[in-house]
Amino acid sequence: MAARIPIQIDPDLADLIPGFLDNRRNDVARLRALLGQDDFIEIRRIGHSMKGAGGGYGFDAITEFGAEIEKAALRADAAAIEQLAAALQDYLLRIDVIIDA
Amino acid sequence: METMAENAEKGSVLIVDDDQDMLNLLRKWLEGAGFKVAAAASGSEALTQYASTHPDIVVTDLYMEEMDGLTLVTHLHAGNPLLPIIMLSGHAQIPDAVKATHLGTSAFLTKPVAREDLIVEVERHIRPQRRDSATIFGTAMVYCSDIMINLVEQAELVAQGDVTVFISGETGTGKEVLARAIHAASARRDHPFIGVNCGAIPEQLLESELFGHERGAFTGANNKHEGLFVAADRGTLFLDEIGDMPLDLQVKLLRVLQDFEVRPVGSTRSHAVNVRIISATHNNLEDLVKNGEFREDLYYRLNVVPLHMPRLAERPDDVPLLLDHFLALHAKKTGQDKKRFAPDALAYLAGASWPGNIRQLVNAIELCVTLTKSDIIPLSMAQRALREEPVRVKTLKDAKAEFERNYLVGVLRVTEGNVANAARIAGRNRTEFYKLLNLYDIDPAHYRVSTSGD
Repeated sequence: MAARIPIQIDPDLADLIPGFLDNRRNDVARLRALLGQDDFIEIRRIGHSMKGAGGGYGFDAITEFGAEIEKAALRADAAAIEQLAAALQDYLLRIDVIIDA
Repeated sequence: METMAENAEKGSVLIVDDDQDMLNLLRKWLEGAGFKVAAAASGSEALTQYASTHPDIVVTDLYMEEMDGLTLVTHLHAGNPLLPIIMLSGHAQIPDAVKATHLGTSAFLTKPVAREDLIVEVERHIRPQRRDSATIFGTAMVYCSDIMINLVEQAELVAQGDVTVFISGETGTGKEVLARAIHAASARRDHPFIGVNCGAIPEQLLESELFGHERGAFTGANNKHEGLFVAADRGTLFLDEIGDMPLDLQVKLLRVLQDFEVRPVGSTRSHAVNVRIISATHNNLEDLVKNGEFREDLYYRLNVVPLHMPRLAERPDDVPLLLDHFLALHAKKTGQDKKRFAPDALAYLAGASWPGNIRQLVNAIELCVTLTKSDIIPLSMAQRALREEPVRVKTLKDAKAEFERNYLVGVLRVTEGNVANAARIAGRNRTEFYKLLNLYDIDPAHYRVSTSGD
């Protein structure tokens, strides 16, 4: 099994984190469904949202995933988006949220 | 509906983003920093929220479906051009930033935004808006324009001392409001502020009105009258329309200002008074001095610190604030819902020349709210209100009431506060007369004069 990824979280945001991460897991599923429909506009929107919010919650990697997804959607690169969705899913499985008071 | 601005200590923020995770995050940060927060998930929701909560500042995303951030800025600024708006954008695209700035956005931040950066920008831009409630002047006067900020800074300094102040400015600019604010901000605030319009009182009466008179000093002076200088002791005496003061009275006023002693008409003795003088006129006093209508020595004595109330047309930035202020005041007075001007009406009014200044603005609002049935006052009504400006916007009932009040005061003056005599002159019995006095909140004691000889 791949290594765990510890993420330090602002304790003020503790109650928001589970919901935020649930939404990202949903994003993975939606990205795959949208790829099936060739809906790159909506894919781009999802990437854009992830890019905007990720770092604020303490997940800089999610901002980076979002930026990459946005770029891939702009060039309608389905293969790249497929890869990014898989990488995001893997990342979400490996993170350990550490609430540092 | 709750008004956020009244409840939040640090101010209220409306956050707008179509991403719920972003809204949650911004809310958390801003509430953590002490702001009161309302959230909207779209531009149209933001407009509704804005109307009901009146936030001090708006933080909005640029890239939103349905209505983007730039369109939202245009809508919000049409209603309140002074509203600070901070734009967040995932794309750090220069054209967007330029356009946002051009539209009057206060700041442009790139997502992902850091907590500290956002808080710093919100605090920085919220402050000028909240300045209006920070001081006594802020509560007494409604402004945000640089010209008024400068004036109030001078007035605040002046208020701390006892120096004689002269306020120039056109009719209707609010000279007395400024004078009252100076008094309220001064160490004299717990003592009387007494205003007298030197142009409204007949020459013969003005002297005794100001300096008092002894019993028998002149025909009709049946009792001793202490005068406004004594009444304003330890407080502030506001001499409005000082330019209309007759020359021979100017000599007497000068003497009082030199010695701070008044001698009532018909008396041989002077007594000390401790009064701060604020005078004002819409005339150009320097011209009056040149023409020999105003004493130069008195002019210099009064004009120690000159303050100038600008014309309303010189402070167009304040027009939306003033409109909002008087609309709220009118709503409070009448118990009706507060109306507001349509964006194009607001723009029209902000650009008007307002020859009658704030007084004209108040009249125009009265006309608009009276004649507009809906909550939003359209452009056509605003235009009509300015066209019909010379018409005194007053109901027959109000005009009658004003006449009646003046009449009652006049009768009480003549009878020196004797209600029985006043009622007789008015052709009413005493009970009826007292009812009228109560109705208009007139205290006959105010017109009574001390009967003793001391």
